[in-house]
Amino acid sequence: MITPGAALSKSAPLLACIGLLCAWQVASLALQTESFPTALEAIRAVPSILGDKESLVNIGASIRRMAIGLSLAVLFAIPLGLLMGRIKGVASFFNPLLMIIYPVPKAALMPIIMLWMGVGDMSKTLVIFLGVSLPIIYHSFQGGKAVEEKMLWSGAAMGLSAPQRMLRIVLPAALPEILTGCRTGLVLALITMVTSEMIARQSGAGNILFNALDMAQYDTVFAMIIIIGAMGILFDAAFEKLRGWLVRWSKPQHDMPLSFS
Amino acid sequence: MKVVSLRSDVQAEPAALPGVAPAMAMIHIDHVSQRFQTSGRQSHLALSDINLTIEDGAFVSILGPSGCGKSTLLYIVGGFVQPSDGAAKVKGKVITGPGPDRGPVFQEFALFPWKNVLGNVMYGLRQQGVKKTDAEAKSRKLLEMVGLKGYENFYPKELSGGMKQRVAIARTLAYNPAVLLMDEPFGALDAHTRTRLQNDLLTIWERDRKTVLFVTHSVEEAVFLSDKVVVMTRSPGSIKVVVDIDLPRPRKRAELLLDPRYQKYVVDIEKLIDDTGEDEIHA
Ligand SMILES: Nc1ncnc2c1ncn2[C@@H]1O[C@H](COP(=O)(O)OP(=O)(O)OP(=O)(O)O)[C@@H](O)[C@H]1O
Ligand SMILES: [Mg+2]
Repeated sequence: MITPGAALSKSAPLLACIGLLCAWQVASLALQTESFPTALEAIRAVPSILGDKESLVNIGASIRRMAIGLSLAVLFAIPLGLLMGRIKGVASFFNPLLMIIYPVPKAALMPIIMLWMGVGDMSKTLVIFLGVSLPIIYHSFQGGKAVEEKMLWSGAAMGLSAPQRMLRIVLPAALPEILTGCRTGLVLALITMVTSEMIARQSGAGNILFNALDMAQYDTVFAMIIIIGAMGILFDAAFEKLRGWLVRWSKPQHDMPLSFS
Repeated sequence: MKVVSLRSDVQAEPAALPGVAPAMAMIHIDHVSQRFQTSGRQSHLALSDINLTIEDGAFVSILGPSGCGKSTLLYIVGGFVQPSDGAAKVKGKVITGPGPDRGPVFQEFALFPWKNVLGNVMYGLRQQGVKKTDAEAKSRKLLEMVGLKGYENFYPKELSGGMKQRVAIARTLAYNPAVLLMDEPFGALDAHTRTRLQNDLLTIWERDRKTVLFVTHSVEEAVFLSDKVVVMTRSPGSIKVVVDIDLPRPRKRAELLLDPRYQKYVVDIEKLIDDTGEDEIHA
């Protein structure tokens, strides 16, 4: 049974999308500027991009870099964050370091990284890695710190060694918080990906967008914005599904403000 | 008003308890003090010179006002906290850390929320290398014993406080520690469940004869279950008196409640606690 209320809240994201597109359509018709195509024109340009092999290769390359950068960040940031959360010395060593790095926009490092590593995949993946790591470290740190001491004591009494407790108690206990960080990381990965391709124009979804802008193909520009936006929503929704399954045992979290699942 | 007459050994200094040979002692707490660093460079004496010997297979309860250091004493025996002074020993060996010979049941349950009920109870057994099928069979039996048959696949968040506490007890019993360290295990339960679990614990204890160190706020519970009741003074906690409970076993609740000896123990101990200036205990 689906109550009207539940149906409404389920379709709310869709309604919001439609509302946004309608507002766009109206605004564009009112403004009548060449650089601001209507929503319909932009949507009509989407299939031609997705049908083009070269565009698909570009978008695929973007997604690959994003996946690699994000995976490396997850592998690096979760253990570091958890160790910081549990071991005072580790935290007091890394905390000042991270404090300095935190406010620096990672994309601003792009020119230096390009200088050292060229404009290829390496630089872009590294920037994604840097951009994504901090929120995951932060949330892993918080999650690790909050693990109930008695839970660790229970494990110790059962004979778990310190590394075993880290892996088999701290990690699962902190998982809800870690995954919250990963979700932020995922969205940041997409943002950093586009930004890096805007700076190092060579391939990728961002490259298509900015090339079209140079050539004044505004419907393609807006179509790319739709495609990138849709990618973000899709990734996020898929991740939320995974997250919900992984932490199905945990208390219903304070509902996240942004959720499309 | 009735004059409380205590048996002579009851008034004896705890250190001078009519002792069994130290070699027989399961737990020996020797001049243990605990000082905690508190905020603002101050320190707080939580336990002051505790001496206590617990024989193998004894059921010993600790009573005392809130904040007198009962939990802290239990943590020291568990090896979770190192005493700032003195030493605690188990089977003659100084306790330096936790071990599967001492199973804690915490006031806060501390279940693993990502494991279901069965997974929680199986955890210690699996850790000790017991085969999965064997561990599962034993855990199911334990869960049936604590009245949780049918809840094997529930996650802790789906259980009531009383059910969580029963899972915690089963989880600790599962890996068969020689010593049970129970911190107000029935404190959060309704009267009915509490009575049931007291009876169950007694049945298990009378069968296995584990050494039990049991913290409680209920005088009746302490007298009903224990061989010895340790009464502590308010902070800094020290042992005021150790009362031997000389009541026959196996104990039946219905008989015991009518037994004047039981009633006298309860009244005497309540009087002792009143003398420590404690009021919360009746809450
Ligand atoms: N980690 C700690 N740091 C500082 N002080 C502590 C710490 N643990 C306990 N204390 C202090 O030690 C005293 C004894 O605490 P404890 O928890 O052992 O009391 P308790 O007898 O178990 O109380 P309750 O009956 O309320 O559970 C308290 O005054 C408490 O504030
Ligand atoms: Mg306590």
